[in-house]
Amino acid sequence: MNRFRQQFIFGLLALIAATAGALWLNAKYNALPNYAYLTGWALLAGMFVLTIYNVRKKLPFLPLGKSETWLQIHIYLGFFTTLLFLIHLNFRAPHGWFEVVLAWLFVLVSGSGMVGLFFSRVLPRRLATRGGEVVFEKIPTIRHALKTEAETLALGADAKSLVIAEFYTKRLAPFFAGPKNFWNHLAESRREVSVLLAELDDLRRFANDAEKEKIEKLTALVRQKDGLDYHRALQLALRLWLFVHIPLTYGLMIFTALHIILVFGFSGGAR
Amino acid sequence: MPAAPTILERPQRWDAAFDANMTDEDVSRLLLTVPFSGMDAEKFPKRTPLREILRNDARILKFRKGEIIMRQGDYGTSAFLILQGAARVVLKPDLPPSLLGRQATNKKGVFRTLAQLWNRSRPPEMLPRTLLGQSSGVSARQNEKETRVFLQDVPRILDQHRTAEMFAGEFFGEIAALSRMARTSTIFADSDDAELLEIRWQGLRDLMKYDDALRTHINKIYRERALASYLRATPLFKNLSKEQLDRVAEAVEFSTYGDYDWSGEYKRLAQSGSVRPEKEPVIVGEGDYPNGIVLLRAGFARVSQKFGGGERTLNYIGAGQIFGLNEIAHNWRNKDAAVNMQFSLRAIGYTHLLIVPTRVMEEIVLPSLPKNELPPPVEKVEDDLDSAPPEIATREKVGAEILEFLTENRFFNGTATMVIDLDRCTRCDDCVRACASTHDNNPRFLRHGPSAGRLMIANACMHCADPVCMIGCPTGAIHRESFAGQVVINPATCIGCKSCFTNCPYDAIRMVEARDERGELLVDQEMKPIAKATKCDLCVENHGGPACERACPHGALERMNLNNLDALSKWLKL
Repeated sequence: MNRFRQQFIFGLLALIAATAGALWLNAKYNALPNYAYLTGWALLAGMFVLTIYNVRKKLPFLPLGKSETWLQIHIYLGFFTTLLFLIHLNFRAPHGWFEVVLAWLFVLVSGSGMVGLFFSRVLPRRLATRGGEVVFEKIPTIRHALKTEAETLALGADAKSLVIAEFYTKRLAPFFAGPKNFWNHLAESRREVSVLLAELDDLRRFANDAEKEKIEKLTALVRQKDGLDYHRALQLALRLWLFVHIPLTYGLMIFTALHIILVFGFSGGAR
Repeated sequence: MPAAPTILERPQRWDAAFDANMTDEDVSRLLLTVPFSGMDAEKFPKRTPLREILRNDARILKFRKGEIIMRQGDYGTSAFLILQGAARVVLKPDLPPSLLGRQATNKKGVFRTLAQLWNRSRPPEMLPRTLLGQSSGVSARQNEKETRVFLQDVPRILDQHRTAEMFAGEFFGEIAALSRMARTSTIFADSDDAELLEIRWQGLRDLMKYDDALRTHINKIYRERALASYLRATPLFKNLSKEQLDRVAEAVEFSTYGDYDWSGEYKRLAQSGSVRPEKEPVIVGEGDYPNGIVLLRAGFARVSQKFGGGERTLNYIGAGQIFGLNEIAHNWRNKDAAVNMQFSLRAIGYTHLLIVPTRVMEEIVLPSLPKNELPPPVEKVEDDLDSAPPEIATREKVGAEILEFLTENRFFNGTATMVIDLDRCTRCDDCVRACASTHDNNPRFLRHGPSAGRLMIANACMHCADPVCMIGCPTGAIHRESFAGQVVINPATCIGCKSCFTNCPYDAIRMVEARDERGELLVDQEMKPIAKATKCDLCVENHGGPACERACPHGALERMNLNNLDALSKWLKL
C-alpha cells in the first residue's frame, strides 16, 4: 500500500472516530449551560495547533519533527475543527455582521485549505507526466527566449515570407507575448493550442519548401511555449491557494480574538 | 555538402606531463637512484619506456621542515619516494583536525540553534572575521608552483605524538594511490632539504607492471598492511582459520580497471552524449569461464547482459560487494552441469578489485560456508528477470528506465543523494528555504537537475562514496567529516583554488565571492575578490538531520544512499 493511501486510510479512520465521538458528545451534553464555551475553547485550541504549522515551517533549523507529519496532523485536524465549528454554531447560520464575517473567514480558510490539498495531490503528478520540468522563477526568461526566436523566424531580416509574417502578427505574436490559457491548462484542456496548431498546419497549403521548414520550427516553438504555459499555470495554482489560505488565517485569528473579548465582555461575568 | 572535418593530431597519453619542467638532467639523475637504477629498461615496451614514464608521470618536489606532504583522510592519486632528506609520519595519536586544515564538527547547542532566529539577516556569503583570523596551528606559504601548508610547532607535535622518521629510498602513499582509498597517515617533511619524487598513479601502475622487484615490493606491502585486515572483515571469509585466511591472501590477485581521472573523462563523454556501457572496460565477460570471484575494493562496476545490439544494465555494484560467487558455487556443487558467467561486469570510472581464484574458493572458502549461506543454483536467466538472483533483480525493483538513468549519470556514487519524487513534489521550495535558513540565508543546492520519469536528482552534493572533489585540495579544506563521513568544506582554510569545483562531475560545488559583515566583498591585496567553495554540508552542525528533507511537507524529498537501491525501491513504492 503506498504512503498516501496509508496516510489517507489511517487519517480517515481517525477522523470518522473523532467525528462520531464529537457528535455523540454533542447529542449528550448539548443542553449543558456552558456547552458553547466548551466547544469554543476546543475550537480555539484546534485553530491554534493548525496555525502553528506555519510557525514550524519558518523554523526549519529547529528539530521540531518532519514537516510531512505536521501536514498530516494539519489536514485531519483541519477537517475535525470544521466539524467543531459546525457544532459550535449549533448547526445554525450565524447572525449579526461580526459573526457572519467570522464564519465566512472560517469557511474561506477551510475551503482554501481543501482546494490546496486537492491541488497538492493532483497537480504534481500531472506536471511530472507532462515532463519538461522548469523552475517557476525561470519561466519568464525562457518565454522571452522563445518569443525572440519565433519573432526572428517570422519577422527577422531574412524571414522573407509574407504568409508567415502575417500569421505571426495576427495569431502567434499574442500567443508568445505572455502566459496564455491558464484556465485551459488547469482544466487539462488542449483546445486553444490545438486550434492554433491546426491553423499553423493549414498555412502549409500556401507555403513553399523553405516556408514549410519555418512552419515546422514555429510549430515546435508553439509546443514548447504551450508546455511552458502548462507548467506556469499548474505551478502558479500550487502557489496561489496559499496566498488566500495564509492571509485569511491571520484575519480569522484577529476576528477570533475579538470574538472572545466580545463574548466575555457581554457575558456580564456570569461565566 | 558536409563540412570538411577538422584534422588534429590524435591525443596521446603524455600530452600533458605531470610536471612540464622535468628536464633530461632530472630524469638521468633519477635513473641513477634506487629503485630506478635497478630496473631493466629493456623490459619496458617502446610505447612506454622507463625514461618517459619518469619524465611524464613524475615530478620532483622540495619541501621545507614542517611542510605537510600528505594528510590522513585525503584522497591522493600519487605515491612518493624520498630522494633526499627526511620525512616524518605521525603514528599515534592522530593530528587534530585543525592541524590538517579541517574544522572539528561542532553541533550547535540550544542557544546557537535558537540564535538563528535573530542572526539570519546577514549579507550573502558573509564570512566573520573571527573565522578568517582563527589560529589553527598551521600556515600556508606559496612557492613558485603551489601553496604549501606547514605545521607551525613541530617540536610540540614530536612531543605529543608518536612519530617515525623516513629516509631517502623509502616509498609511501602507494596503497592509497593504487586502491583509491583515503590516506591512512599524515606525513610532513622533517628536514629543510627534503626532496621527494611524486609519481602519479598511471606511472606507478606501469612501473609495477614492468619491474618485478617493485611489483613484488608493493604487493608485499599491500598484502601486509591492507589485505589481511580487509579479508578478515569480509563476511564471506568469516569462518576461515588464520592459516586458511593467509592462504587466501597469498592467492589473491589485484587488479585495476578504468580511468583514475574518470570524473573529467565522464564530464567530457556526458557532454558529447556518448556514455555507453559498450565502451567501458570489461572485467568479466558474459559467457566467460568463471576464473574467480571478484571483490570490489574501490570504485563501481556495472552488471550487464547482452540485449539486442547492446548491453542492458541489470545492477551496479560498489566497494565491498562480490561478483561471480553464484556461478562458482553452482559449479562446485554441480560439476556435471557447470555454467559460464551469466552476466558481464564492466568498470565504471575507476575500479580497484581483488580476485580470489576459483581453485582457492573451491578448496578453502566454499567448504567453510554453511549450506544456507551458499547462493542458490544458477538458472539460465534470459528475458525473465523475475527469476534472476536477488542482486540482479534490482532492475525489476526500481524499473529499467531509472536504473539506466542512475547508472549513466553515475548517481550510484552518492551516499546522501537528494532524490525528489516529482509525483509528490508541489514545487513549493520549502526545501530551498529551509536550506537557506539553516545556512545564514545561503541556499546550498538547486531544486533542479536531471530527471527520469518521476525521479529527479537535484543539484546538491551527494557526499560521494568516491569523492573525486577531494583529490588535489592543497589545504585539506574539503574533507570527510570524521564522525559520519559527510564531505564538508572548511571556509577558513579554503583558498578558492577551484580544484574541488572543477573535479566534481555532478556540478554540486559552487564558487562564491565572500563578503564581510557590512556586505562588502572581501578582496586581496591586488583587489581581487576572495572566492570560497561552498556546497551542501548535510546540515552537519544541526540537530535532526538535513533541513531540506525535514522541511518537505509531502515526503517528496529524501537524502538517499544510491549505492544500495533497496531504499530507493521501497521509497518509490510508498
